[in-house]
Amino acid sequence: MDELYLDNIDEYVNDHNKIVTYKWLSLTLGVHVNTAKQMLYHYLEHKRKESSPQLHATYLVSGKLEDKGQTCHKVSVVREEQLEDFKSKMSLVVSVHVYSVQKALLKDSGPLYSVDYDAIKDNLKNCSRHSAIRCAGAVPMSAMELQQVQEIQRAPPSAPENKKSAMNGDANMASKPSSKPQKGIMGLFANKSAPKNQDNSKEVKPEPKEESPVPEAPKSKPAAKSSPMANFFVVQTKKSEKPAEKQQEAQLAIASEQQHQRTMAEEPAAVEPHKETKTDPRSKTKRMEESDSEEEKMEKKKRRRIKKPQPDSSDEDVIPDSPPQMKTSEPSPKKEPETVQHSHTSSGTKIRRRRKVLKSRTFKDEEGCIVTEKDYVSESYSESEDDFQRTKQAPRNNNKAKLPSSSKDNDKKTQKKSSASSNKGSKQASIMGFFQKK
Amino acid sequence: MFSDLSAQREGSSLLCRPASEDQGPVFERTSLDYSPRTERYRVGDRSFNRQYAHIYAARLMEMRPLLSERAKHKWGLDVHIRKLCDLETGEQCCIVGTLFKRMDLQPSILKEISEEHNLLPQPARNKYITEADELILEDELQRIKLEGKIDRDKCVTGSVIAIFGAEKNDGKFTVEDFCMADLPSQTPRPTLSCDKFVLLASGLGLGSSRADSMLGLQLLVDMVTGQLGDEGEQSGAASISRVLLAGNLLSQSTQDKDASTKAKYLTKKTQAGSVEAIRLLDELLLQLVASVPVDVMPGQYDPTNYTLPQQPLHRCMFPLSSVYPTLQLVSNPYGANIDGVRFLGTSGQNVCDIKKYSSMDSHLDILEETLRLRHLAPTAPDTLGCYPFYQRDPFILEECPHVYFSGNAPVFESKLIQGSDGQEVLLVTVPNFSSTQTACLVNLRTLRCEPVFFSAFSADEDEESEMNISH
Repeated sequence: MDELYLDNIDEYVNDHNKIVTYKWLSLTLGVHVNTAKQMLYHYLEHKRKESSPQLHATYLVSGKLEDKGQTCHKVSVVREEQLEDFKSKMSLVVSVHVYSVQKALLKDSGPLYSVDYDAIKDNLKNCSRHSAIRCAGAVPMSAMELQQVQEIQRAPPSAPENKKSAMNGDANMASKPSSKPQKGIMGLFANKSAPKNQDNSKEVKPEPKEESPVPEAPKSKPAAKSSPMANFFVVQTKKSEKPAEKQQEAQLAIASEQQHQRTMAEEPAAVEPHKETKTDPRSKTKRMEESDSEEEKMEKKKRRRIKKPQPDSSDEDVIPDSPPQMKTSEPSPKKEPETVQHSHTSSGTKIRRRRKVLKSRTFKDEEGCIVTEKDYVSESYSESEDDFQRTKQAPRNNNKAKLPSSSKDNDKKTQKKSSASSNKGSKQASIMGFFQKK
Repeated sequence: MFSDLSAQREGSSLLCRPASEDQGPVFERTSLDYSPRTERYRVGDRSFNRQYAHIYAARLMEMRPLLSERAKHKWGLDVHIRKLCDLETGEQCCIVGTLFKRMDLQPSILKEISEEHNLLPQPARNKYITEADELILEDELQRIKLEGKIDRDKCVTGSVIAIFGAEKNDGKFTVEDFCMADLPSQTPRPTLSCDKFVLLASGLGLGSSRADSMLGLQLLVDMVTGQLGDEGEQSGAASISRVLLAGNLLSQSTQDKDASTKAKYLTKKTQAGSVEAIRLLDELLLQLVASVPVDVMPGQYDPTNYTLPQQPLHRCMFPLSSVYPTLQLVSNPYGANIDGVRFLGTSGQNVCDIKKYSSMDSHLDILEETLRLRHLAPTAPDTLGCYPFYQRDPFILEECPHVYFSGNAPVFESKLIQGSDGQEVLLVTVPNFSSTQTACLVNLRTLRCEPVFFSAFSADEDEESEMNISH
């Protein structure tokens, strides 16, 4: 065995003034731990024979100790002076070896820990390579196996809870019944408004996947809900597309969107339009609540997918929500990754949409009384409202232009402020009409 | 004993020059069959809408037949087992129900927030029992006060027992004798051919401001992974086939939230103490899992839910070590079948809670008491946080374990007890490592437990030094 290691250790101890523990030596020189211990011992002997500058050593003693009638296995690190003392106290000495060698006398064993800690930190992946025990089962899992484990972990809790996205299998199953009723809706209203329905059907078709994470999550909710849900979809085919304010659906959509957002962006392209289609049948208030709560989530999601929304804007025939919704949902997610220009153009392209508008209609009922009812009526967006949107976007974009380099927090705040202001603006329809005519 | 096993080898000492061959000996870690039994303690869909009455009802419903049998066995087959509503004055009979101990000092949130009393919140005490406590037995419909030959200070709320006695004229039930459900049946454990060990440790206390115990922890890891010691010890360590960390991996100081006491501008950029501590834990676990299968149970100060049963720590907190399949993140309480030997245990919250509300002081005695009561945590949900179960009480012991442990005890204690049907259980109180530097080794073949004590030197031990250990 070449004696180079003696010089190595010499260098570490004397020149660098390090504390050389067996573990550190084993990791540095890449030798078995027992070899390292022996090397240290050899070095100590060698140096002591040569009577060179004072070296101190710590030893590891382990053995059986009888203490108050109870035997215990004791493992301790001791200074050289204490070695014999410790050995004599033990009834059976199992092992003794050199733990560390250093120039200075150590008062406290703290530095020993820090040396070992540093050594391990530098070699985290193979800290056991030079140990004396191999474990057959301790092989890191590959990425595939990791994924499987993750899915297994997700699958049992997803049945009772709905916090995570379900398996793709479940998703596909759920999407089929949901997409069918939707196509049924399309079929029913084919006569009435062909272009609109085609738009919708187009959206539905490319979206079975996107819907899949969404409906599966709520469908995997307590089974009690699933049948009313399915019934609900069926019922909707019979009714007109008048969106009834159904709590279930609202909750469903809220839950679905939250869950959808929590899924890793499998189909990021459709998140936005999907969200907007889903918000169609619901009340404005619900939509606004969702958007407020989801705003941040959407922002976070959008931050990850910087490039993807760009191709979306051209494809989709997304029906934009009512103006306040548009502001909150679209610009807020898009502002960070994208330039002002882009958000402007992307919002501009989302023109053709159906929209539910709260309108009041008066009619005469059976008794001859005039009744006024507020109800949602679907209405298609027209050019005028694009301008309306653009003008809304313009002041908003100015806001953004002013703060291009500000922190995201500030952006968020401005977003929220502008969205808040726009929300307020939308309620006062008369004021908006004022801008509109320009 | 572990020491004897390790010392058997007459191999070469390491106090010599390195031999010519490069590599030292490499031992194979003994593997064993492992199957966890943690489905009982997983809470899937959590809904806190329910009241806690259901868990008591489920408990009584499940334990009543067991207790009726025990009562018949003890007091004769013709003993009358009555419900409280059917009690007749003066008749000697047996009643089965849940104990309730009314304690004046028991912290009550209603008293605290009640304004008419103008009470300040009660400071935490060691024991909440007083002389004026009363024992009451409740069954499905009624309750009755107990007096007589029952040790009030030893009993805790929530235990289901059978009582033999009579009701006197004043409406109280005079106890002549009582019995508990006692140990459930046990499947006999297989005989093993060689010594296999399981290491139990708890209370690692990472992330604390005192770093005294870190070298001890490092020595523990080194010993288990086979780096420490000479060949004999390393071969002995290769027979440690599993490591079980029973809770409180993080120290209590990581739970202090500056955010609640300090002003926000001071604490805005500070991280919670547990973040760094979990990172340390991950690195420690990485060293362990690369060499031995590890089960990690959460404890009182670990980042998981507070109520029992505590759900396993999430694997996303352990990016380095969760890559290894040998890392098992398990719930608290935890049960597993390790090579045919049934292990069951908790991180110690149940035992500490009983200790506060009874006169028992030894963790081992309390552990035995819970086994005899056939219930892991009788004080849940009264004084110990618990999930409101609906139709089941998962803390009832259905099968008798071979090794029954609880973590975070102040000292190491172990005892082998025998049941009436030939059951044999090893009770182990796993000591808190950060204060005692002791871990336990359970020998699966002989069902004995041995403590392993790690120590390092410090300036204290020097007579002439005047340095203080920084605490």
